[in-house]
Amino acid sequence: MGRPQGGTVRWTVLLAAAVLAWITGGQPSTAEAAEAAATLEHRVKAAFLYQFAGYVEWPPATFAQADTPVTIGVIGADPLAAELSQVVVGRTIAGRTVTVRRIKAGEPLAGVHILFIGRAESTRLVQLSQTAQPRSILTVTETDGALAQGSVINFVIAERRVRFEVALDTAEKSRLKLSSRLLAVAQDVRGGGR
Amino acid sequence: MCKRPIDLGQDDGGKMAKHAVPELAFWYRCSRRISTGMRMMAGVLAVTVLGPGSAATLAAADFADLSLEQLANVEVTSVSRRAERLSDAPSSVFVISREDIRRSGVTSLPEALRLAPNLLVARNNANSYAISARGFNNAVGNKLLVLIDGRTVYTPLFSGVFWNAQDVMLEDVERIEVISGPGATLWGANAVNGVINVITRPARDTQGALFAAGAGNREYAGAVRYGGRLGADGHYRVYGRGFEQQNTERANGTSVRDGWDKGQVGFRADWGGTSRNFTLQGDIYGGDLEQALPGKTKVEGLNLLGRWNQRLASGSGLRVQAYYDRTVRDQPGTFREVLDILDVEFQYAVQPAGKHQVLWGAGYRYARDHVQNSAALAFLPADKSMDWANVFVQDEIALLAGLSLTAGVKIETNPYTGAEFLPSARLAWKPSADRLVWGALSRAVRAPARLDRDFFVPSTPPFLFAGGPNFRSEISNVIEIGYRAQPVSALSYSVTAFHHIHDHLRSLELRPNGSIVFDNQIEGTTSGIEAWGGYRVTNAWRLSGGMMALNQNLRLKPGSTDIGGVNALGNDPNHQWMLRSTLDITPRHEFDVMVRHVGGLPEPSVPAYTAVDLRLGWRASRDLELSLTLQNLLDSAHPEFSAAPGRSEYERGAFLKLLWRM
Repeated sequence: MGRPQGGTVRWTVLLAAAVLAWITGGQPSTAEAAEAAATLEHRVKAAFLYQFAGYVEWPPATFAQADTPVTIGVIGADPLAAELSQVVVGRTIAGRTVTVRRIKAGEPLAGVHILFIGRAESTRLVQLSQTAQPRSILTVTETDGALAQGSVINFVIAERRVRFEVALDTAEKSRLKLSSRLLAVAQDVRGGGR
Repeated sequence: MCKRPIDLGQDDGGKMAKHAVPELAFWYRCSRRISTGMRMMAGVLAVTVLGPGSAATLAAADFADLSLEQLANVEVTSVSRRAERLSDAPSSVFVISREDIRRSGVTSLPEALRLAPNLLVARNNANSYAISARGFNNAVGNKLLVLIDGRTVYTPLFSGVFWNAQDVMLEDVERIEVISGPGATLWGANAVNGVINVITRPARDTQGALFAAGAGNREYAGAVRYGGRLGADGHYRVYGRGFEQQNTERANGTSVRDGWDKGQVGFRADWGGTSRNFTLQGDIYGGDLEQALPGKTKVEGLNLLGRWNQRLASGSGLRVQAYYDRTVRDQPGTFREVLDILDVEFQYAVQPAGKHQVLWGAGYRYARDHVQNSAALAFLPADKSMDWANVFVQDEIALLAGLSLTAGVKIETNPYTGAEFLPSARLAWKPSADRLVWGALSRAVRAPARLDRDFFVPSTPPFLFAGGPNFRSEISNVIEIGYRAQPVSALSYSVTAFHHIHDHLRSLELRPNGSIVFDNQIEGTTSGIEAWGGYRVTNAWRLSGGMMALNQNLRLKPGSTDIGGVNALGNDPNHQWMLRSTLDITPRHEFDVMVRHVGGLPEPSVPAYTAVDLRLGWRASRDLELSLTLQNLLDSAHPEFSAAPGRSEYERGAFLKLLWRM
């Protein structure tokens, strides 16, 4: 048993590409384009972000009016923001529409209710969390060890699935109430003497 | 429902700690304890899985309708986007997980299948099993389709499985999907009463060395496996396993000549990532089986399979698979058979457009069967070349919010009856994200096998048994209704009711000249209920259970001269149930119990039995695991199949196993 010869692989790929082109009516089918296709992980995380909004209770003064939209800010994860924008179209959380805002480094967080900090911005995680906490913004991350750096919910990949861990004490400091259902699904819940 | 779930988390996880993978299952149960290794693995996986851009947005909105629990169960690193939705499949699917297998302490594939409440599993003797779903259980049962990593393992000799030939290394099995009921539209003829998909782990998940050894009063077994990397984006594993099983005994204490030993070596190599990957795998095996006649039965075989998955930029998915499979069976005094099979298939999952998700494909299978007949019996002609071809298309249509219809048809040709038409329609309604109501109508066909047409006794005229010159396909029209729910995250259950209407079932007709032929003069119905559920009491304790009730009503057609009776088709209990408890006494100590009850079999009569199995597991360290499995604690021995007094009994067993990972 060994690795196939490079020539064989190339021949196989070329033949396959020809077959694909025929089947798909000439749609692009290069390996590069395929690699760029959205991963399920983006979609699942986007769906989670939207769902989280339904399991969080913000302090009463957070929303100006009964129909003020829930705003999900995304920083350092443009592909995920694109997925999320698709998800929230036409959907509401407790009667509120949901908007997605892409945030660049240094931009203010005013009006944001949930902040997703992508891995690309993980170096600024502590700073962003400190800014978010007094504003009762639910911080969600995807970085190993992020809970210790002030994030409330952190995505992890386990057994090929997207799971998440929760820092209950950080949530309390942010004056956010997380539903028990959310905590039940969490992979790990820290702090808060639950 | 996905066709053959494509099980490849092929992302480059090579940087993970080599011990991280075996830890996964343990970690899953003790979810509050995230080990450093796990966190590292999670990080690595997440980094590598997260691709750059996003062209397709097909399923993003769909996922938002799932519950939190369901989202947490979506496999994000699988290639086939339809594979993730097994839990949403509008059919009766039970999944035996790797952890289920490990904690049952079983040592063989047929024994592992006892974990599925929707399967009938009866041990005929040390080397032979009768395995079926929804009745017609028989040591030469013919209505169940079995696949190992996409390779069909039933023999065209009798449309069933020689369970003593086909094998896997259980430590490398990722999961076994057991679908009861017809799956003919996707899987073709012979998927009449059920489909079993045995899916092994990707090579990436079996890196490093593993050594397993076990001994007990009924058997000895040993296995080694080693996995490593192949270039930048590939992984491989090689394995070898061997075992020896003792003769069983009859009720009167005399020995049955059915002991056997077998060895198997094989490999699997995977290349590529989530959106494009290639798998090459193969096995070689050989075994010696004691038999009643002088001499020993020898089974040998080898197979080589290649599979290629490609996700296109459009969001569509393509899968091409080809394999070669040779089986040799030499039963001195009976027959010798060399069977070569070549099988190619192609499947295309079209990017969902609007309300439609189309899946289509085609396949071709060629077999060359070479039989050396004995004086006692013959397959005539002795040498036969056969081929099968199929095309299928299926569309999943979103009708209304939460309501979808999956309609499809397969047309399959076979060497005996030409083209068979295999349509099905499945309706799924999700009133909420954690509930599913489904119903299905299907037409399934069991195409003739060599046994039905070409079987003669003795091997020269005058024949007592003169084949089945007019044998046609058996037909089942099936209606199913099911409900699945997960009312709270700790509890889930599934209930299915089914009604099969059979026609042209195999009968044994006596001709005026005194010879007997196979014909199709039995009809009737099978009805029943399958149900199972699981409850996570705490993170360390899980309870599960399942049951099946069956009511068969078969009769001879008017004018039939059948001499075999409807019981020749199968010998089934009218009910069975099972309960399992898996408990982590401490993070290092496991205590598992399974209680199984199988109702009595009518003809030949086999008494009902209840078997209790216990397992004690001790994780001495992260790399070393010791377990003691005690089977059939309640009685010293009981029969499970066949007629007294010649039949084997299944005695109390103990098996001590050591598992060492390096």
